[in-house]
Amino acid sequence: MSNLQQDLLALSRAVGAGSVRGAAETAVGLLSPYADCETTDNLTVFATVNGACNRTLLLDAHLDEVSMIVTDIDENGFLTVSACGGLDLRALPARPVTVHGRQEIPAVFCSVPPHLSDGDPSFDRIADLKIDTLLGAEAKKVIAVGDTVSFRAEPVPLSDTRITGKSLDNRASVAVLVELARRFSAEKPPMNLCFVLSAQEELGLRGIRTAAHRVQPDEAVVLDVSFADGVGISPLDCGNMGKGAMIGYSPVLERKISKKLTRLAQDHKIPYQIEVMDGHTGTNADAVSLVGNGIPTGLVSIPLRNMHTDVETVDLSDLKSVCDLIEHYIRAGGGFRD
Amino acid sequence: MIELLKQLCELDGASGNEDAVRAFILSQIDGFCRWEVDALGNILAHKKGKNPAKHRIMVDAHMDEVGLIITHITPDGFLHFKTVGGIDTPVLLFHRVRFAGGFYGVIGGKPIHLTTGEEKKKLPKIEQLTIDIGAASAEEAAQKVSVGDVCVLTGETVQNGTVVKAKALDDRVGCAVLITLLKEESDFDFDASFSVQEEVGLRGARVAAHHLNPEFALVLEATTAADIAGVPPEKQVCRLGEGVAVSFMDGATVYDRVLYQAALESGLPVQPKRGTSGGNNSGAVHLSRDGVRTLALSVPCRYIHSASCVADVRDMEAQLCLARWMIRQIADGQLS
Repeated sequence: MSNLQQDLLALSRAVGAGSVRGAAETAVGLLSPYADCETTDNLTVFATVNGACNRTLLLDAHLDEVSMIVTDIDENGFLTVSACGGLDLRALPARPVTVHGRQEIPAVFCSVPPHLSDGDPSFDRIADLKIDTLLGAEAKKVIAVGDTVSFRAEPVPLSDTRITGKSLDNRASVAVLVELARRFSAEKPPMNLCFVLSAQEELGLRGIRTAAHRVQPDEAVVLDVSFADGVGISPLDCGNMGKGAMIGYSPVLERKISKKLTRLAQDHKIPYQIEVMDGHTGTNADAVSLVGNGIPTGLVSIPLRNMHTDVETVDLSDLKSVCDLIEHYIRAGGGFRD
Repeated sequence: MIELLKQLCELDGASGNEDAVRAFILSQIDGFCRWEVDALGNILAHKKGKNPAKHRIMVDAHMDEVGLIITHITPDGFLHFKTVGGIDTPVLLFHRVRFAGGFYGVIGGKPIHLTTGEEKKKLPKIEQLTIDIGAASAEEAAQKVSVGDVCVLTGETVQNGTVVKAKALDDRVGCAVLITLLKEESDFDFDASFSVQEEVGLRGARVAAHHLNPEFALVLEATTAADIAGVPPEKQVCRLGEGVAVSFMDGATVYDRVLYQAALESGLPVQPKRGTSGGNNSGAVHLSRDGVRTLALSVPCRYIHSASCVADVRDMEAQLCLARWMIRQIADGQLS
């Protein structure tokens, strides 16, 4: 098993939501041999590698995951929750979760049998979809309102290159950053690298704003995931699994960076695909570009299926393409040197 | 018994493909009873007790579980399927499946970000769902899967106190209890069937009952419990932790009233099933030959036919106690 795959599995298993520290601790464990790491109180990880000049490239991958938060506990051990991030309510019946109470408690979303409901369940409000803690009245002793609830799923390979699991949005990109740090461990990069594993992306691109303000980089490249092809999905809305790094083009992105990435992919024969957006990208790139006096920003994405479920699926070959592309981008001195 | 249950639930055995479950059960009961496997794959066992029974008794549990059968492979390598037994779309979308080769697939869908308006609240039809096995083309998919192959929903087994979550609790609870009955000493003789194909129309038990020719039958099952938040009490059917459920009637059977009443008055943890929906092997068994006096003993189970069934081990122990007690009463001529 490659380092990249091993790291991805470890990062997928870890939980990074609310005040749960697992993902941050796992990431620091993986990055600290190669970079100076610091974790802030909102669970952002900064990992820095000093370069040969004083320019700084910020490479962002958000560390948080879609999750839930407990708002009520009833006498029989059933929880009501709110969503933290965009959840597909249709995917929740019978879904295993972990409640991060006084200890980690395995639990499951209720599924009302069809003969007891009028047709399909209503997916109007997450508050109607209760969680069964299997604990009955004991639940109140170990769970409090405000506790985090995360998906509970072990990552598994579907094929030699494809992996399914929870939180691959955006641990796939975190794994790429770890691999990049590894590749530059024996040499000084031409510029300072600041890997930012940002918090609260799923709540509205929040963590990156303060993180980038602190780093004050000269430019930023955001790594995230984007929609991959699948049954019922218009080809106009998605990239293709296994066809390489998705290089973003959008009015909010710095075109020089997009073009440089494209040229490098062509020169080095790295599989890539162009993802065109007509404005907001829905990623941290939208936020980081507006930090301080403005930061020129690029976006590279990994195609991913079943986004925001616990069966998110990626192809390792795409992770490798993104990694190769960013490595060349760093070696070339970023987006502004010809 | 809980460890036995966990081992049984880990095995995959969609209806018509019960081989792994059958092999495991045989490895458990061999040496404790006389057994044979019939033409359809049912295990038929005879337990020698300390005394001959006054009546022939059959105790049944089914080995199979609900699953999916592959009907078509798309050019892009996605698999269309139909359900084997009743599975509702809410517990299929974005769930994982496992094939006999031990490899996994995912029932994928359009991400929530790309769904609009009413689509966000509507489940796709089963025909619109496909399984992704990580193949990039039909050729790649065909290396692993053929049409007609089956898979099952997979789920981690976990336990909080006496409550267990696992796939296939319907009816591995019955299998675990029946194995236990066969392995312990019995006061009286009885016959047992671990039957196939329950989920596709109570098929295995029909020939098993014909073969064993019982006068009385006990069907060990798992049944829907809806004791969950938001369901009014009159619709909860039965409740976890309140004992084994016995039925007076369901969609397939009007149960023997004497056996039903005796169970309620046994002094053991027993609750009546307060509903008439569903059905189980009793439907096939009680109509066998000239008719068989039958009772179903069911463990209440939440989210049945999903990857996350939930049941209480105490109810399973109650099922064991009641089955043991009923065998003794019937065999001794107390319920004739």
